[in-house]
Amino acid sequence: MANAERPPGKNFNDQLYDLLFKNYLWQSIFRTGYPNTPRNQMLVVATNVFLHLHPTRIHRTHVKITHTYCLGGLSFFMFLGLTVTGVLLMFYYVPSVERAYADIQALETNVRFGLLLRNLHRWMAHAMIILVLLHMMRVFYTGAYKPPREFNWVVGVILFVLTLLLSFTGYLLPWDQLAFWAITVGTTMIGSAPVLGDESKFLLLGGFEVGSNALIRFYTLHVIGLPLIISIFMAVHFWRVRRDGGLARPL
Amino acid sequence: MVSQVLTAVRARPRREREEEVLVWPDLVFIEFISAIIFTIALLVLSAFINAPLLDRADPNTTPNPSKAPWYFLNLQELLLHMEPAWAGVIVPTIALILLGAIPYWDRSNAGQGKWFASKDSIKITVWAFCIASLLTIWLILYDGAKHVEWTEDIIRGTGLNSDFTWPTWLDWARNLRGLDTGINWDDLSFSLGGFTIFQDWRAIPLGIPGTTTDPWLLNLNFPSFLSQQVVPVATMVGLPLLLVGFTKRKLGWIHSRRDIALLVFTGFIAVFIVTTAVGQFFRGQGQELRPPWDIVVVEE
Ligand code: HEM
Repeated sequence: MANAERPPGKNFNDQLYDLLFKNYLWQSIFRTGYPNTPRNQMLVVATNVFLHLHPTRIHRTHVKITHTYCLGGLSFFMFLGLTVTGVLLMFYYVPSVERAYADIQALETNVRFGLLLRNLHRWMAHAMIILVLLHMMRVFYTGAYKPPREFNWVVGVILFVLTLLLSFTGYLLPWDQLAFWAITVGTTMIGSAPVLGDESKFLLLGGFEVGSNALIRFYTLHVIGLPLIISIFMAVHFWRVRRDGGLARPL
Repeated sequence: MVSQVLTAVRARPRREREEEVLVWPDLVFIEFISAIIFTIALLVLSAFINAPLLDRADPNTTPNPSKAPWYFLNLQELLLHMEPAWAGVIVPTIALILLGAIPYWDRSNAGQGKWFASKDSIKITVWAFCIASLLTIWLILYDGAKHVEWTEDIIRGTGLNSDFTWPTWLDWARNLRGLDTGINWDDLSFSLGGFTIFQDWRAIPLGIPGTTTDPWLLNLNFPSFLSQQVVPVATMVGLPLLLVGFTKRKLGWIHSRRDIALLVFTGFIAVFIVTTAVGQFFRGQGQELRPPWDIVVVEE
């Protein structure tokens, strides 16, 4: 708020500013210069496709790091990072029982930065689960689920489940012993449901045990089905944060 | 209807406006910096620690122990103590429903948007976390029959009886399954109108006469029903209730539904953490309790 409108005059800074932001190329992309007045700063947040998830102004207490620890935002950032690394992984991976394991090996040894790519994807997935859990705890301990935010808390619980499912479906894809047996243990648990247990297990695996049908189902869910669903719920989640009047604050 | 629409678009009062800051730069920069920090941290982590890749999947060699991914190890831990349908499906489903229902039950606006706003909330949180962790650890040790092992070690160690073993008449107190196998249920049976109660509960005739449908209670095995369903479920419901009662009556810290929610949610988090950690670090071959340095995976 302290920023006043810029006074006129051409010192070095202004010249640099003009050089960087008032040229044809920059303005063709961003349409405006760097937003250096409060008015323009609000405009850029309201009109930029990425920034418009935000309101233009928020309450002072909510920009304190210790209020949210950025946990929801970081969960979302992990999702974006996982999408980018995941798309790159798809270039090298074929979800067939014959090829999957060899593809991962080849990725790790023959592809430049392939191992780094795989590591990043793996650790981001773990980080996302932990961040989502911590985000849930921050929402709980700040009492931010209370009316009118009840439903957004429910959307959050669904996001948590979807996050776990995304991670679980990805776990099978390397087709190594870890993957195979973890999914066997996991799907056996599903099979023990008192109603429709065997049926849901069969549906998920495309058979009675983990095999090529299971691999293709997990792959499809992992790379397109669940990401689409979680994106929809995230959109609702962020929309509701805005609609419910921004972050919760004491009455 | 009109008034509802109006409330939705009502401008905020001027006083609040003065309390507000601009998202750009104040928030956007924080987000930007935290994203950079996380990117760097994850890059460094990925440069030094490799994602695991074991041998190619082989349905014919089972690793022992076989473990689910870490975030499901809490459920796999439950699986060791109760009927799989409860551990794998019913308990998590109910837990998620209860979690989602919290705001519909604790509906007062008091103290929203502020860390630990209610009067005794920090005390409640610390207390719930400690007691729930301790109780969970204790239950896991009990069901792993660790008290049997330790009693034997101690009594042998004192030299009073160097080959002391847990007495058979106390077999029911070994662990939960001991209730099932350590009691001679036949001795406890009694006759009632042509049925021998208990003995017959292993094959209770609840089918509809004259039909061939397989009635699910036909093979109800009462002892294992008791040890794998009734006792574990009663524990999971009873302990939180006792904890709420104790904290309210004896400690006097509960003043609202929010405080109960704090207590139970924190207990849930504690149980989640403890069971996950036990599953990840303390379960060795045959899912036996082992210290972390003692855990090797063998393929069978
Ligand atoms: C993929 C998972 C999730 C993402 C990406 C996400 C993202 C976000 C973001 C960016 C915010 C804005 C404030 C902040 O950063 O703390 C937020 C707020 C919120 N989240 Fe989430 N969230 C997720 C999961 C959850 C879960 C598991 C819950 C609860 C069970 C939850 C409940 C809420 C609620 C009630 C708010 C409003 C908080 C307030 O008004 O202070 N979210 N979420």
